[in-house]
Amino acid sequence: MSAFANDLLALLGALVVFNVCLTASAIAIALPVACLFAVGRMSRRPLVYYPVTAYVNVLRSSPLLMIMFWAYYTGPMITGAPTSAYTAALIALAAFEVAYFTELVRAGLQSISAGQRDAALAVGLRPSQAMRFVILPQALRRMLPSLLSQSIIAFQDSTIASVIGVSDVFAMTNIISAREQRPIELYTALAAIFFVLCYGLSRLVRALEARVNARTAGAG
Amino acid sequence: MQSLDWLLLFRAPYGERVLDAVLTTLELSLLSWVFALAIGVVAGLLREAPLRAARLAATAFVEIFRNVPLLVQLFLIYFVLPRVLPLPLRQFLFAFGWEFVSAVLTLSLYTGAKVAEHVRSGLNTVGVGVRQAAMSTGLTWIGTQRHVVGPLVLRTIVPGLTSEFVTVFKSSSLAMTIGVVETSYLTQQLGLQTFHWVEASTLGTLVYLVCAWSVAGFMGLVERWTYVPGLLRRGARP
Repeated sequence: MSAFANDLLALLGALVVFNVCLTASAIAIALPVACLFAVGRMSRRPLVYYPVTAYVNVLRSSPLLMIMFWAYYTGPMITGAPTSAYTAALIALAAFEVAYFTELVRAGLQSISAGQRDAALAVGLRPSQAMRFVILPQALRRMLPSLLSQSIIAFQDSTIASVIGVSDVFAMTNIISAREQRPIELYTALAAIFFVLCYGLSRLVRALEARVNARTAGAG
Repeated sequence: MQSLDWLLLFRAPYGERVLDAVLTTLELSLLSWVFALAIGVVAGLLREAPLRAARLAATAFVEIFRNVPLLVQLFLIYFVLPRVLPLPLRQFLFAFGWEFVSAVLTLSLYTGAKVAEHVRSGLNTVGVGVRQAAMSTGLTWIGTQRHVVGPLVLRTIVPGLTSEFVTVFKSSSLAMTIGVVETSYLTQQLGLQTFHWVEASTLGTLVYLVCAWSVAGFMGLVERWTYVPGLLRRGARP
């Protein structure tokens, strides 16, 4: 096997082990939290509404890189418990995506008509049950395309973890290109890998979106 | 943990560097935003041009810059692009401050691709009728876009552009990876040199928050100035 093929395999390995895992675990943590926060964003209790709103506003207005600094340098400095770069990147990415997912989930919840909730309450469900069994399942189906689009962005953003020292696919490209003095091929290959994955996924999301729209059209 | 020393951020030798870094962030983001708007409007309008090649080129541009991570784009333009240029030109670029220039170039193209998507979706709200009416008065396609469609689209997409404008400031933080001394770069340097991480990251975060919130406030005003009578305003109840 040629040296270049070997390099590509190393890149793909780092992509799966670091970027895909990092993104998937961050989303797995962020989504349930975001569902809770979205309900908090619609709450009438100021003690719930204001902290959640402040969280979303602050996290959405700061760069992911800055949040990674907090998770990797500043947080451990305060608590005195050192964190590995991977864990810090995971915490930062999850915390960042919670803010974005919260707004998407909230938009999804608000797109479900009040009639659905009234009907659920009328048949005797408690408000929490109405949310869990009636509103959330419908809303999740409707917001799936936008959640997936945001996940594709999170996947691209996972490369930022290389700045705090995670040996992800971008860090790996830097190392290999420095060692073999072949930056043109390696960075182009990296861009091509991301393009194929993200473009393919975004086409799938678009197809899904068309299906969801067709199915929920007129359902209110 | 060592005691906090907030004045460290304002004392020599850091005070001046902090100011420089914040100004660099502003300069980088605002310059990139101006170019991104121009690139985005042209690319967005070209996606429905009467010329197939122009449509294809605009679509390819948007899809490539949206589907490759910004960090990879930065390295391709800063690091790889000069390698395919002849040596004298390369030396000129690096003597001229290529870090900053390539960061502006990348951010403009990246943000321009996103603006182009907003412009394209704005075209749908303007409607075919308006475009046909403009063409029927004898304007050419370019004239129609310039005098009728472009201004109208720009006014309808202001709410969407707000988030892209905020994102430019956030994205500009990645310029530190190619050696532009902006706010994030300084934050990390301050932290690593003095170990006053709490002060350094608070400062860095505050700078971005103030930028984001000022932009949101400013764009709120722009939205009020440019809103098209007859269309729904954001936040208005249908």
